[in-house]
Amino acid sequence: MILVTGPLFSGKTDFARSLLPAGTDFSAAVCTDAQDLAAGCTDLTVLADELAGRYAVVTITEVGGGVVPTDPAQRAAREAAGRLGCLLAARADTVVRVFCGLPLVLKGELPQ
Amino acid sequence: MLTFVLGGAGSGKSDYAESLLAASPGPRYYLATMQVWDEECRRRVERHRAMRAGKGFHTLERPLDLAGLTLPEPGALLLEDLTNLAANERYDPQGAGPRTMEVVCDGLAALHRQTTHLIVVGNELFCGGTEYEGDTLPYLRMLGQLHRRLAALADNVCEVASGCPVYYKGKEPSLYDPV
Repeated sequence: MILVTGPLFSGKTDFARSLLPAGTDFSAAVCTDAQDLAAGCTDLTVLADELAGRYAVVTITEVGGGVVPTDPAQRAAREAAGRLGCLLAARADTVVRVFCGLPLVLKGELPQ
Repeated sequence: MLTFVLGGAGSGKSDYAESLLAASPGPRYYLATMQVWDEECRRRVERHRAMRAGKGFHTLERPLDLAGLTLPEPGALLLEDLTNLAANERYDPQGAGPRTMEVVCDGLAALHRQTTHLIVVGNELFCGGTEYEGDTLPYLRMLGQLHRRLAALADNVCEVASGCPVYYKGKEPSLYDPV
């Protein structure tokens, strides 16, 4: 599995699409916005295992950079999103951070 | 040459971008985009003026309509900053409104043609979550698209963290062989 992380609106989905062979069913191969699945999840480890087993590419938005939200649910969701990102990165063969549409490989290497 | 410098608040991106301008062949222009609304704006402008004092930059103030700007002669130019310029165009009654994206891109292209080295400073605003009120999310989406377009055109793209540049594309301009 290739994990694509990066800020909001940085071009993660376009980059994920560029990794797929022509004709691949995007929604079957790519899980986008994994951070949204973290909120309310009772077991992040199980979720990370499922995502890593099922998808070729997972994208996740970095949401932990701003001020701590005052709302407890938002606070928990943002914490869970960050932790899910770590769990996915540990399971990924390759981790790429996309910044302004530019990929930076953080772990492993991209397929040729 | 086109260099895009990004960074969070207080990351040292302005100081770093100014060092790039100072290292570029002259004449050197500093293009300020901020509209001064209140005392906080005035203090910010003063702080930046003091930082630039003695560096020999020719300051231009241009909150809107970059395409209408003609430089006295070609040179290096630092535009500070893209976030402000895009917000001015989007929200000022005199601005481009819904056409902000194309107007800003056209303006940058017009500036690029008049400069030997164009340096653009932008803010990294995109790691603070995905839930925003009002027009903030549409503005961020537009700005993110603008960042990706500019990064695709740029020779060099870096993010400054605690004053240290991390290059995602190209390299520090001074590291190129002299032409």
